[in-house]
Amino acid sequence: MILSDKVLIIGGGVAGLTAAIELADSGVKTVLVERQHTVGGNALDLYKAFPTDDCFYCFEASRFRPGIRKCFYRSALLDHPNLELRTNTTVEAVAGSPGNFEVTLMVGPQYVDPMRCIMCGLCQKLSSAFVLISPQCQPQAVVYVPDQADDNVKEAVEKCPTKAINLEAQPTEEVIRASDIVVATGYHEMKPVGMEEYHYEELPDVVTQLELARMLDPNGETSGQLVRPSDGGPVKHVMMVQCVGSRDENYYPYCSKICCVFALKHADIIAQEREGVQVSVVYMDIRTYDRHERYYRKSRRAGVNFIRGRVQTVSKAKDGGLEVIVYDSLLDRYLKFRVDLFVLSTALEPSAESNEMAQMLGIRTSNGFVASLDPTSGDEVIVGDHVYACGTALGPAEVPESVTQARAVALKILQGRK
Amino acid sequence: MTETDGSERPPATLIEPIDMSTLDASFRREIQSMPDGDELSACFACTTCTAACPIANQWEYKPHQLIRMIILGMRDEVLSSKEIWECLTCFQCQERCPQKVRVTDIIFDCKNLAAEEGKIPDAIRNLARELLEKGQLYVITADWEREDLDLEPELPGLSTEEFKTILRNTRTGRIVGGE
Ligand SMILES: Cc1cc2nc3c(=O)[nH]c(=O)nc-3n(C[C@H](O)[C@H](O)[C@H](O)COP(=O)(O)OP(=O)(O)OC[C@H]3O[C@@H](n4cnc5c(N)ncnc54)[C@H](O)[C@@H]3O)c2cc1C
Ligand code: SF4
Ligand code: SF4
Ligand code: SF4
Ligand code: SF4
Repeated sequence: MILSDKVLIIGGGVAGLTAAIELADSGVKTVLVERQHTVGGNALDLYKAFPTDDCFYCFEASRFRPGIRKCFYRSALLDHPNLELRTNTTVEAVAGSPGNFEVTLMVGPQYVDPMRCIMCGLCQKLSSAFVLISPQCQPQAVVYVPDQADDNVKEAVEKCPTKAINLEAQPTEEVIRASDIVVATGYHEMKPVGMEEYHYEELPDVVTQLELARMLDPNGETSGQLVRPSDGGPVKHVMMVQCVGSRDENYYPYCSKICCVFALKHADIIAQEREGVQVSVVYMDIRTYDRHERYYRKSRRAGVNFIRGRVQTVSKAKDGGLEVIVYDSLLDRYLKFRVDLFVLSTALEPSAESNEMAQMLGIRTSNGFVASLDPTSGDEVIVGDHVYACGTALGPAEVPESVTQARAVALKILQGRK
Repeated sequence: MTETDGSERPPATLIEPIDMSTLDASFRREIQSMPDGDELSACFACTTCTAACPIANQWEYKPHQLIRMIILGMRDEVLSSKEIWECLTCFQCQERCPQKVRVTDIIFDCKNLAAEEGKIPDAIRNLARELLEKGQLYVITADWEREDLDLEPELPGLSTEEFKTILRNTRTGRIVGGE
């Protein structure tokens, strides 16, 4: 194996990005495949992130890169000579042998050339078929959504000042050779459809934590305003419920590990930055592991109500909002609350099609997540012969942990080379 | 009771839940504003206080529950409870609380608040009244114990009058003195 041998990284979330850049920086040729139009993964939607309460993009970015204080992704992803980024791309087939994989990629149509788009917004004004997925999207370019095409898209093509749009773009197949494969396909936030007691999707004021994060984000649809999705009414009381779909043999048996921390992160943000909004958290255990205990203490001090117990019923209140009956197991009483927003801390589940991915690569899974080859070895990132995994593809994890694993992968790969 | 549109489903609980809007959400702040109440909301319901308490096994509301009830705003229930008056003020709970909640002091604060509202158990009220009237709770009688110790039968220089005057002008006097 020579140093520059190509490494394929599947998934451009924080974990995949870190692995790609670390390897590219070390002289390894890397191909980063991301099925969305932008890299960033779930972290794009987090608003502020624990443990530093920064925007996630900046807190892992500034190290060792002279001249780039903030986002290393900005320049590195498009300009790094060792890094090829393929967005809107999936892995179709893996053949060959460990150390010499032959991988077929399906590269989706590139309607907007990210090297040309200057994000002037002109096309967006003309047609809703052009969207900016996130202000932090990377590559920095608008995305064309064919389903939304209307009569104005042609005009956009003509008027685009940099001629970045090509509506005739076609998907292409690409075959690459790679010595190693890194699985960084991340997680998906469980949507608790059909959990009877919570009425998710039936009652618009019942949302998940990621949906709440969008509402808190100044760049989100509501510009950071907390309003009831049902009628736009003001939100005065937010209630959260922990362990929805986690630690539940009917759904996922494991503890999703970080939902207590992010719930309390949100509780703190609301208690401190939104005037006059009461927050209650219904829980069975609060598991703010190691240093994150401070979020728990902080939110108690900020006046967040913690109710140990479970939810009995959620129903529409007469005057808008919801009526929630909670069994308080510490008092052995049933309590009836009027709340405006009911937030479910749902499980982190394996991302879509991760089973197919595992089969294609011939690696094992555990609870649907990628499993370490030898869980007792301490090398948890090794999941197969020349196959590695990092971040939440391995199971629920926070950003710093995902990043640490990504670096471990880079090290393991480098150790095997001359 | 949960369904108000007059139709279909039977009630989910047969016992009426406590309607949180009828509670006094400011109670928590009221206690917290007292010199000892600062750490009230740090309580994370670990029940260490109740484990430490020598008497709580006889109580309907255990110390950790009293703290929860204060936080939730169950003002009437806390201030009318017999528990706050039966507390031995032994400070076991307060000493052991891992979050530095001053449980005993808070229970004391509750007693003061209850007293202000006239919610005083008869036995305590009677004691206070006796104190106001006699200036002392235990009247010293000439008995064999003092004799055995070679003490005078009367306590020399004991004047309850001054004490009674002082007491009448204190809160005790104000609260139970009038009747
Ligand atoms: C509500 C909420 C709040 C959170 N808050 C915080 C916080 O404050 N601090 C913190 O540290 N962590 C937080 N987290 C956790 C954080 O989101 C994750 O640790 C982090 O995003 C994991 O990154 P990742 O790269 O492992 O996975 P992901 O972000 O899921 O990225 C995986 C990427 O792989 C792509 N992908 C998946 N499958 C394929 C495929 N087959 N082919 C190609 N691409 C594919 C996906 O499109 C995605 O871009 C929070 C999580 C939630 C749910
Ligand atoms: S008009 Fe062209 S340059 Fe401007 S945002 Fe649209 S695609 Fe990008
Ligand atoms: S982290 Fe908290 S909410 Fe999430 S599963 Fe574990 S205990 Fe439940
Ligand atoms: S010991 Fe302290 S923290 Fe624990 S329940 Fe009692 S008051 Fe709360
Ligand atoms: S001070 Fe009162 S509540 Fe605390 S342990 Fe002693 S008797 Fe129990």
